[in-house]
Amino acid sequence: MSRLPAVRRPDLLRLPLLGALLRWRRGRLVFQLALLLVALLIIYDGLTGPQIAPENIATVAAWLQYRGLVVLALLFAGNLFCMCCPFTLPRTLARRLSDRGRRWPRSLRNKWVAILFFFLLLFVYEWFDLWASPWLTAWVAVAYFAGAFLLEAIFRESPFCKYVCPLGTFNFAGSTISPLQITVHDRDVCRTCPGKECVNGSAQVLGCGTELFPPQLASNIDCTFCLDCARACPYENVALAPRSPLQELLRPDAWPRRWDWAMLALVFAFTALSNAFGMVPPFYELEAALAGWLGREEPGLVLLLIFGTIDLLFPAGFGLGVAWLSRHLAGKREPLRHTFTRYAPAVMPLAFAIWLAHYGFHFATGALSIVPVTQNFLLDHGITVFGRPDWTLSALLPLSWLLPLEIGITLVGLAGTLYLTGERAAHLEPEPDPLSAQLPWVLLFLAIALAAIILFTLPMEMRGTGFMD
Amino acid sequence: MKKQTFFALLLLILLIPLAACARQSQQPAAGDVEMTLAVRPDPPAVGDATLEITLTDGEGNPIEDARLNVKGDMSHAGMEPVLAEVEGGAGGVYQVPFRWTMGGDWFVTVDAVLADGTTISRRFDLAVAGNMGGMDMDTGE
Repeated sequence: MSRLPAVRRPDLLRLPLLGALLRWRRGRLVFQLALLLVALLIIYDGLTGPQIAPENIATVAAWLQYRGLVVLALLFAGNLFCMCCPFTLPRTLARRLSDRGRRWPRSLRNKWVAILFFFLLLFVYEWFDLWASPWLTAWVAVAYFAGAFLLEAIFRESPFCKYVCPLGTFNFAGSTISPLQITVHDRDVCRTCPGKECVNGSAQVLGCGTELFPPQLASNIDCTFCLDCARACPYENVALAPRSPLQELLRPDAWPRRWDWAMLALVFAFTALSNAFGMVPPFYELEAALAGWLGREEPGLVLLLIFGTIDLLFPAGFGLGVAWLSRHLAGKREPLRHTFTRYAPAVMPLAFAIWLAHYGFHFATGALSIVPVTQNFLLDHGITVFGRPDWTLSALLPLSWLLPLEIGITLVGLAGTLYLTGERAAHLEPEPDPLSAQLPWVLLFLAIALAAIILFTLPMEMRGTGFMD
Repeated sequence: MKKQTFFALLLLILLIPLAACARQSQQPAAGDVEMTLAVRPDPPAVGDATLEITLTDGEGNPIEDARLNVKGDMSHAGMEPVLAEVEGGAGGVYQVPFRWTMGGDWFVTVDAVLADGTTISRRFDLAVAGNMGGMDMDTGE
């Protein structure tokens, strides 16, 4: 307590009111309880309410509101939804009940498991038409609570957040271009700090659940914005500071040279494409063609083939192929991992832009539908003060604006990705890469952007009709 | 671990009966009124359409002078529903001008108030074929 650091950078934690709320020991709990209420409503209405997706809080809140708001939060602030995550509330209970159990297995301390669960969620979403089923949506929420609780009860750190949670994986990936990041005011304070309470915790506050050390933080990946580090720091040295959205991906030391991290970036990009692809006519044609080729109509197998290919095989195949070509053109004799990890993260602005354009589209066309859905819910429970639902409430923006917006967002993302490609080629190694080494990556990124724009211009047909004549 | 297991099981036990519930207002009214739906064009495709809803009593006699509220929802959240109202129903047949705004799976919910005040609600599931016109950009304007 003896040494308060000088404030050298803007810090949201120093703002009046908001800063005090964020730093308050129960500050996170306030936000979590708000989302816990929403999660409980999702479960309750999903299980008992109308089983028509547009009329049920579960499907509207989970697949429309949440996804729209999460990309906007990532774009304008950071990983706010992990900060407010209600699934970690029973996790905290489990942590207290458990005896600080064993460590998460070393072989699983990577992003491969997270990629797998992220893929599984997207696959299950398509297979079981989760967007159309309030009942299943409710059970997904229950599964989240149960998963967080069980893993936290068994393991010592927070493996659910760091290694398993698909929503967290999406948020971690998206937050790499967010304008806020946890950092410190004075690294010397941390260097001489004896307790390292930000990680180890104190008597009153838990330390970082994902075991991050703020002065070493260069990336938002794995940071849940829980702010436990800031609350635990006895020197008030932890800051929530603004940064350039590209800052993290411009820094040579921000990401480790690991296959899993770089592959996550490409998976994030290709899943953005596949998630949009699942809504347009060519998807149904491919689905029907594959079913014919297999000689049987098994949606699960067909969808696994389609989404497994796009979400997992394409990132691995194109990524490795382009990395090999890039290294070959550069004439370098470096491990392929170095080439791969140098360029793959540059895709993040484009990948996020595609997700933003897609989820933003749905949010813009249907965000207001939560109003009549809530009115209907209240009416069903005898609360008439808010009147009868006006089902025409739906769009936030005129539909004619949306395609130009989607294309514009994608092009801005592409510009960011191309800029990063050049910068990472020039500055990540002592010896810059020649233009020829960047060319295969530029072509890959252009192809991804072109695919996204084509998808956005195609007529959207909702799922479930793939096998119908 | 016994406490955690207990809490997890308790949660599941509490949720299972909830899953079996449906709110009273969502349960269709009982009765011997028959409601059928035919669509034109058939099979339905994006664009203008007519819904032909027929009401008959338990003996097959037409029910006239009912007021029908029709709501077309897609299977996913976020699309503005298509709403329509119709009254009269000569011969028990109610013609409802309609518009399929997008290809995909639709739920058409028909709420009917009969002349004697009896209410009846039925839901019909349909698959609407898309076309290259795709999403109706004029929806809501």
